[in-house]
Amino acid sequence: MRQILAILIGVALAAGSAMPAAANHEIVIGLQCDRTGATQTVGVNLCPGYHDYIRLVNAKGGVDGHKIRAVEIDHEYKVPQGMEAYERHKKEGAVVIGVYGTPHIYAMTQKLTEDRIPGTSPGFGSAAAADGQRYPYIFPIAATYWSQGAAAVDFTKKQLGGSLKGKKIAYLFFDNPAGREPIPVIEDLSAKEGFQLKTFAVPPPGVEMGAQVLDIAQRYHADFVIAHLFGRSPSVSIKELKRVGYPLRKVVSFVWGSAEADIEAAGGWSVAEGYNVMQFAGVGTDYPVLNEIREMYKKEGKEAPKEMASTVYYNRGVLIAALHVEAIRNAVKGKPDGKITGEDVKKGFEQINNFTLGGLVPPLKITATDHEGGGLVQIWQVKGGKFEKQTDWFHAYGDVVAKHVKDAAKK
Amino acid sequence: MLDWQFSLLLLSNGVLIGLMYALIALGFVLVYKATDAINFAQGEFVMIAGFVVVAFLLSYKAPLWLSVVCGLAAMIAFGFGLERAVLRKLIGRPVIAVVMATIGLAAVLRGIGPLTWGADTKNLALPISDEPFVLGPLFIPPIQIVGAVVSLAFLAGFGWFFLKSRKGIAMRAVADSQQVAMAMGINVERYFALAWAMTGVVSALGGVVWGSLLGVDVHLALVGFKVFPVVILGGLDSIPGAIVGGLIVGIVENVAAGYVDPYVGGGTKDFAPYVLMILALMIRPYGIFGKRIIERI
Amino acid sequence: MIHRECGVLKTTYEADMALYPLPIAKWTVAALAVFFFVVLPLSVHEYYLSVVNLCSIAIIGALGLNILVGYTGQISVGHGAFMSVGAYTAANFAVRLGAPWPVNLLAGGLMAAAVGAVVGMPSLRIKGLYLAIATLAGQLIIEWTINHVTFISGGVQASIEVPRPEIFGYRIASQVQMYFFLLVFVVLALVGTMNLMRSRIGRAFIAIRDHDIAAELIGINIFRYKLLAFAVSSFYAGVAGVLYTYYLGVANYEQFQINVSIDYLAMIIIGGLGSVQGSVFGAIFVTLLPIVIRYAMEAFGGLFFSEASVLNIIPNLRLILFGALIIVFLVVEPEGLNRLWRNIRSYFRVWPFAY
Repeated sequence: MRQILAILIGVALAAGSAMPAAANHEIVIGLQCDRTGATQTVGVNLCPGYHDYIRLVNAKGGVDGHKIRAVEIDHEYKVPQGMEAYERHKKEGAVVIGVYGTPHIYAMTQKLTEDRIPGTSPGFGSAAAADGQRYPYIFPIAATYWSQGAAAVDFTKKQLGGSLKGKKIAYLFFDNPAGREPIPVIEDLSAKEGFQLKTFAVPPPGVEMGAQVLDIAQRYHADFVIAHLFGRSPSVSIKELKRVGYPLRKVVSFVWGSAEADIEAAGGWSVAEGYNVMQFAGVGTDYPVLNEIREMYKKEGKEAPKEMASTVYYNRGVLIAALHVEAIRNAVKGKPDGKITGEDVKKGFEQINNFTLGGLVPPLKITATDHEGGGLVQIWQVKGGKFEKQTDWFHAYGDVVAKHVKDAAKK
Repeated sequence: MLDWQFSLLLLSNGVLIGLMYALIALGFVLVYKATDAINFAQGEFVMIAGFVVVAFLLSYKAPLWLSVVCGLAAMIAFGFGLERAVLRKLIGRPVIAVVMATIGLAAVLRGIGPLTWGADTKNLALPISDEPFVLGPLFIPPIQIVGAVVSLAFLAGFGWFFLKSRKGIAMRAVADSQQVAMAMGINVERYFALAWAMTGVVSALGGVVWGSLLGVDVHLALVGFKVFPVVILGGLDSIPGAIVGGLIVGIVENVAAGYVDPYVGGGTKDFAPYVLMILALMIRPYGIFGKRIIERI
Repeated sequence: MIHRECGVLKTTYEADMALYPLPIAKWTVAALAVFFFVVLPLSVHEYYLSVVNLCSIAIIGALGLNILVGYTGQISVGHGAFMSVGAYTAANFAVRLGAPWPVNLLAGGLMAAAVGAVVGMPSLRIKGLYLAIATLAGQLIIEWTINHVTFISGGVQASIEVPRPEIFGYRIASQVQMYFFLLVFVVLALVGTMNLMRSRIGRAFIAIRDHDIAAELIGINIFRYKLLAFAVSSFYAGVAGVLYTYYLGVANYEQFQINVSIDYLAMIIIGGLGSVQGSVFGAIFVTLLPIVIRYAMEAFGGLFFSEASVLNIIPNLRLILFGALIIVFLVVEPEGLNRLWRNIRSYFRVWPFAY
């Protein structure tokens, strides 16, 4: 067990490590993390989830006997450091890279394609990358911002009684490219469904948004609010909306404003009662895979890590790791000696179908043309001190999203 | 809602948030006034103060008043220590040296905070409700009233200090001319240290107020960026200037978000104060209340 | 340079100002050229070249900033924004007009120079802290503009993919090819800066830094030269931005935000203000620091901390060390790495006979 641990955290052996290459081949994954930069509150919980799942796989004997080593490099949400991390991962022989950060996925797109190493961008990044023909080595593997926007409109429609005609929807967004990405899709839907759309930008750093929220509640009188905020601003939006007396049950947030940390920073669960959040991984502690991880810790005589309590981000870490491992598993099927390349893993990703991990992962179907895998999300609601599931996995307005993906690929 | 009511709401929101900005700007002004040093780490001061208070509150289960007192003590000690260890050695160096030193300090503090107390967001709960007071058409959140009261109390306190107290007058003398002050038997270095300690005090209370508004984590340091337009507009060395500058920035931000954003479709809120600041630099570089001595060509 | 100096007698100003102060310097330069153009790329793994490439881009940017801050004595906190101006100009030229890379590079540099001169306007009236804050405002306003004007940014995502540069049909894509491509520009930038500083313009810059009023009295047009300093500095930044865009294959505004400007300031301060060598040292130092700290922590961190917490400690410690080193340099060695280098050199100049 110690040895497995050592291999795993084996970042320590990184420089020129010559592991005894026995019959079992070590498979390397590159993981980029942000534990100190602009999104550190995400990274500190997401990355441990990733490592725990890989440890679990190795504890069970790896993938067909091949151990997996995840090399984590923190890039502080800075692009040059991310590029350095990428080259380092390449040198280590990584067959898949877990990219973290929208600017990073943009910066690495060409390199990944040239080097034929698949990179994943779950829940962020360029929505256009869903097109597997145009971007063969980029895998969103979770709902892109376009799918999230479509899902939010669909949820709004259901909440407002099945029709959006003449309704007023406010889109409250972080004023950066990621925040603006869904606007074209939501605008299209506004024409299609006949609702009125008004956008409210929150400029970075987003620590104050009194005026926007006042406008939403008191001047525009929005029937529903779709929020797409990052960092500290989701919690601020909860507080401010509460303050002007806007009902939080009429707010739905995109995936990066939807964690326990946001609720707690907003002043606790009672404050945020009713707030709707979108998720691309299951929420809560009640999944078989999480029980297995707790078991693993128990066997080692340790307590389960405190990061597990932050289930939204921790579970996303597990989801990303699980999908990486699943792709590797598919790749190893074709090459039992374990000497797989990035190309094999790319094909492995494209065979992922209905891999749900007991409900933590949506039933994705990734194909050579659709790297998003269906763009499935769940909506959860803050109710009585925890998140409660509102909808099952769903995907909405597939035709509108597909049209945008197609148009983007032409560029 | 009628449009004038909405405007009134924006205005009141601007005034209250502006006073909260002023709280942070005050710390900056105090240091500049006394020592001519520019503190690019003001936001990080506020952040670290928030971390300390929360640590006492949550980890050691201290009562709020004790946590705040401990926060104050820690920040005063920090101010003294910083001056002694770093800034005293930079006296007489070009302005960029101090700027870079505080930028370096900002990085250090951003690393120390999460390393020591964890990166997750902590809730700094004050014993006040979240429900706003309703005054006619206005909604006023209690925390912003606390912020405004603290700001105004500091204004009054420092006003008295600089005008009437012996130490305050000595500090003004130091600010005016270090050489002459030294010749008059004032221990200049001691007053520099005092100024940094006073910044510590302001930052500690800023940390409590802003920390309770935003939650305490590394993002709390971002409020530091709001300081520059405030101090340039108000005047770098003027305490009333910090308050007035804060009010202007608060109001301009809100008006921009309410009336300009709908036409340009983007967040002009952050950007408007900086444009105003550039104009101010061109017309009246020493700010509204600043001393008219400015290095210019 | 690295050689022993003795028996040097300069009799003319020209000799004193020469690029090669000693005959032997030519050989040192030739040896360095062989090392960088032949030995290094043949001997190391591609990964190390990728790190060198990041250093190369940083060197060009740092040289530019040093011309402004170190030589002319103006402050700019907007270097990152000038890089983005270059990057987006080149990307638009490349994608909309299909222009070849030399045209894009020049256009990017010139556009950045023009914008830089405009942002530098306040320097005519204010200096010191006020100028720092004015350029900070410039940085934020440029960021905002690129972010919001889709004509420049090419859509809501604000990123434009550019094709890889081609030289006579030869596509530059791998890190090795990119290494040579960038190295050429590093050499050009180095030689260009050294020559600029020996020229009339360079001496005017230095005169303005040392005493602006005196400089005006001896007939230097302050208005012109200050703006020129901003323009030249921004030209370098623009070129660095274009090269970075070609390095990544995409122009994206989030790669040129305020923290980039601060990193560049850190480079020239750690390296040494007003020195070409200092810019090089500083750029290399700041680029390598996080990497070296991580390697060190990976190797030795396990001895002090538990395995799981190492992953959390490495990044935070790196941030702390980065800040602490800036402070230490400012307090202990204000003239930066360049001064350290000279101290070492002068120690060995008379070694082993110190007296």
